[in-house]
Amino acid sequence: MNDDAYEGARLDKNDVVLKTTDLEKAFGGLVATDGVSIEVDRGTITGMIGPNGAGKSTLFNLISGFYENDAGHVTVNGEEVTDLEPHERARKGLVRTFQTPRRLEGMSVREAMLVGPGPQKGESIFSLFFSGSDVTEEERANIEQTRELLERFEIGHLIDQPSTDLSGGQMKLVELARAFTTDPDILLLDEPVAGVNPTLANDIKRFIRELNEEGQTFLIIEHDMPFIMDLADPIIVLDQGKVLMEGSPDEVRSDDRVIEAYLGGAGP
Amino acid sequence: MIPLQISPFQYVANGVVFSSIIVLAAIGLSLVYSIADFANFAHGDLMTVGAFSALFSVGFLRPMLGDAGVFGLPLWFFLALAFGMGAAAVISVITDRVIYQPVKGSDSIGLLISSIGVALVYRALVFLSFGTEAERYGVPRQGPIPWVRETLGIAVTPRNLVVVTLTIVLVTALHLTLTRTTLGRKMRATADNADLARVSGIRTSEVILAMWLIGGALAAAGGVFLGLEELVRPRMGFDILLIVFAAVILGGIGSVYGAMLGGFVIGMVHELVPLFYQWGISPVGSRYAAAVAFVIMVAILLVRPSGIAGDSG
Amino acid sequence: MSAVSSWVSETLVRDATERRIFAVLGLITVLLVVGVLTGVIGPRFLLFQIALVGMYALLSLGLNVQWGYAGLINFSVAAFWGIGAYCAALLTAPNSPLGLGLHPVFGFLAAIVVSAFIAVLIGIPTLRLREDYLAIASLGLAEVIRAIILNERRWTAGSSGISGIPNLMSWLPLTDAATTAAIVVFLIAVVYLFLRRVHRSPWGRVLRTIRSDEDLAKALGKNTYLFKMQAFVIGSVIMAIAGAFYAHLNLYIDPSDLVPLTTFYIWIAVILGGTGSNRGAVVGAAVVIAIREGTRFLNDIGFIQTLGIDLAPLRLLFVGGLIILIMRFRQDGLLPPKDELIWPAARDESSTGGASPSGAVPDGGTSSNGGDDR
Repeated sequence: MNDDAYEGARLDKNDVVLKTTDLEKAFGGLVATDGVSIEVDRGTITGMIGPNGAGKSTLFNLISGFYENDAGHVTVNGEEVTDLEPHERARKGLVRTFQTPRRLEGMSVREAMLVGPGPQKGESIFSLFFSGSDVTEEERANIEQTRELLERFEIGHLIDQPSTDLSGGQMKLVELARAFTTDPDILLLDEPVAGVNPTLANDIKRFIRELNEEGQTFLIIEHDMPFIMDLADPIIVLDQGKVLMEGSPDEVRSDDRVIEAYLGGAGP
Repeated sequence: MIPLQISPFQYVANGVVFSSIIVLAAIGLSLVYSIADFANFAHGDLMTVGAFSALFSVGFLRPMLGDAGVFGLPLWFFLALAFGMGAAAVISVITDRVIYQPVKGSDSIGLLISSIGVALVYRALVFLSFGTEAERYGVPRQGPIPWVRETLGIAVTPRNLVVVTLTIVLVTALHLTLTRTTLGRKMRATADNADLARVSGIRTSEVILAMWLIGGALAAAGGVFLGLEELVRPRMGFDILLIVFAAVILGGIGSVYGAMLGGFVIGMVHELVPLFYQWGISPVGSRYAAAVAFVIMVAILLVRPSGIAGDSG
Repeated sequence: MSAVSSWVSETLVRDATERRIFAVLGLITVLLVVGVLTGVIGPRFLLFQIALVGMYALLSLGLNVQWGYAGLINFSVAAFWGIGAYCAALLTAPNSPLGLGLHPVFGFLAAIVVSAFIAVLIGIPTLRLREDYLAIASLGLAEVIRAIILNERRWTAGSSGISGIPNLMSWLPLTDAATTAAIVVFLIAVVYLFLRRVHRSPWGRVLRTIRSDEDLAKALGKNTYLFKMQAFVIGSVIMAIAGAFYAHLNLYIDPSDLVPLTTFYIWIAVILGGTGSNRGAVVGAAVVIAIREGTRFLNDIGFIQTLGIDLAPLRLLFVGGLIILIMRFRQDGLLPPKDELIWPAARDESSTGGASPSGAVPDGGTSSNGGDDR
């Protein structure tokens, strides 16, 4: 049932895009990430699950550089990025989305999308005055790309809408499309279908799969079990800040430790 | 200018008194910062409001109570202090209900800017009610306590002692409230993580009410003490707001105990600047005492933005 | 003429609300002109007021870059203004403590360099942190600069101020007041065109993103610290230019205007005009000057003097109350920004393909496009 994912994974079986080694992070006395080492192979859709408080979001923030780690390493395409700022990691091809996207006040969907590509010539004040035609050319190309991407994600009609008017699901789609414009080596999606209606969630699944078939690598946190089990392979299970296990959806489903972690996590 | 060599201990004694005022002010500012999550620029003017409320009450308390005194100060002063604290507490709760809570979106930036408006309104109301001149409480002048002067060679007045003692009492009472009562524990939990506190069933409205009451009362105490030590001026609170902010940042935003420590350090430094200047440690004299607090603040932001008591990072 | 009116309708007036606002402004302008023609208002007085509005407009444009574009809270507007004014006064006035008597160009240059330098100094520790750190630190900076100007008499003449600042371009065949008014109009035009270009561009877009969600901008690979620093420096330099201009307008400068209240007047101009909108900043500045000068005017009316009311506290009350009311009821201000921040040259070409600019869509489209202005 995970043929697509296996297709993608076969492209380059031993090529690791993202690797963490013994990542650690504590808040006060609370250890949120306790020596996590994971690898994400190029061309995979890797899922990450775990009960509430397992440390998934903290791990995402450590990988993307929004938290500083206490110990351990993160590499992207074999290159050490542990000491880099979030924006520098993004430039290295490690791009993330957020669980609850904030609305961009006063921006149309087109503008919100156009922030994605980068670095743009037009982001330098100098270029705005001394190579205006280059800026124009680049901006035209980006507008064109925006339109194509929105069409592809079947939300082309929203391009003129204020981004504050979009539904949560539509915003998630825009986020996905925008993250893709950065030309990432790996996309980290933080709960891409949380609060999204089932129809739209299915669309999002389809788009992720399509992008993956074209070679895009994903690491996805998701609470929606049917969604992630259907989409991702392998799946990494976190519990109490540690990697509990990693395996195919079937292996995860039948693993006693996983069941216990979820049941235990639900109790006191 | 000053013919006699002033004893270094004198600066330390002044520092302790000034620190007390800053500590009281910093606690309230820090509480609002951590629980309501915004930098309250009206906090300095709230001190002023407290100081002038106390001054107002002196008008009727003094004829009522006459000159009976305790601890070297007239009884009416203590009641005026209580009156000022109560008034500022009530006013800050009303301000929260009428102005801060309805602000659209209630994000920390909208509240911050609104608090500037509140600061100006407070000060305007003080101007309109009491005029623009500096005032005094009218506590009789007292000389330094003789035995302290003889043994240590420094001038300490009874009112200095009252300020420091009452500050210790207030801070201790706050400490006991925070650690021994359910409300206090709820406040600390909310300060640590407001969302988590709400999820775990803490009624944040109750916590917010307590925060404004306590913060307002302590700010007023700081204001009254400042008015007692110096003058009761309409700009007094705004003028030391920066120093109070420096104390809160030094202590680590959101940490009440950090604010106490930060307030103590900044207050001491503020009073010790002339001494450092004499000794050649500080390049500037007392005219730049506030600037020195500012420089310390910027240095903290560069080196350790979370403050001396905050989490590392 | 029709080209002018279509330019006006496309770039200035976008909907019914704005039409009303501009109608009121037009009416006031007409009244002022009538006042001058009938001799009720002296032309000199009016030109001075125009120059003053112009200076406030420059300050508002500067703050708009910081707060409106990037969401930076700068409470040291008055300080940067003062830096500019003192650079101009110290270098150009023959009887300033430095006694140099240089050409005004050097004053403006010094204002730009010094303000940029100080903006960077204060930006380094604060712009990596949460927004409110800049607010606190900038309030401190303002106090420190005021303390320095007051205390370092050898260099700044302290509270006695500096007089004898030369007029600008006195060789122009105009009265001094007219020359000054012309210069401020020119300055505003230059700054306005500069800002228009940088704002409606990928650069402005990144700033707008930072304002809404800085983490998102970082996640998309933008060096937000650098962008914020640029916005902060540009805004501060514009404020310093306004200060240098004021020195040559007033011909005298002392530290009394460096108080925080001046800063808050500019804040009102920006949030009342419409945070993020350059047009709004200019209109807001005019409104604030009207309030300031209007209340000063009241003071001269005999009847009010007999009541014995001091108007300074009332003005303070009014300013504070206005801030609270705007934050409560109309955070968008009078003329909220309507532009999509897209490089205009790229937009025109592609509008045929459906990516039309907001201004060119029929009315229904415009209102859905501009965000909520109701």
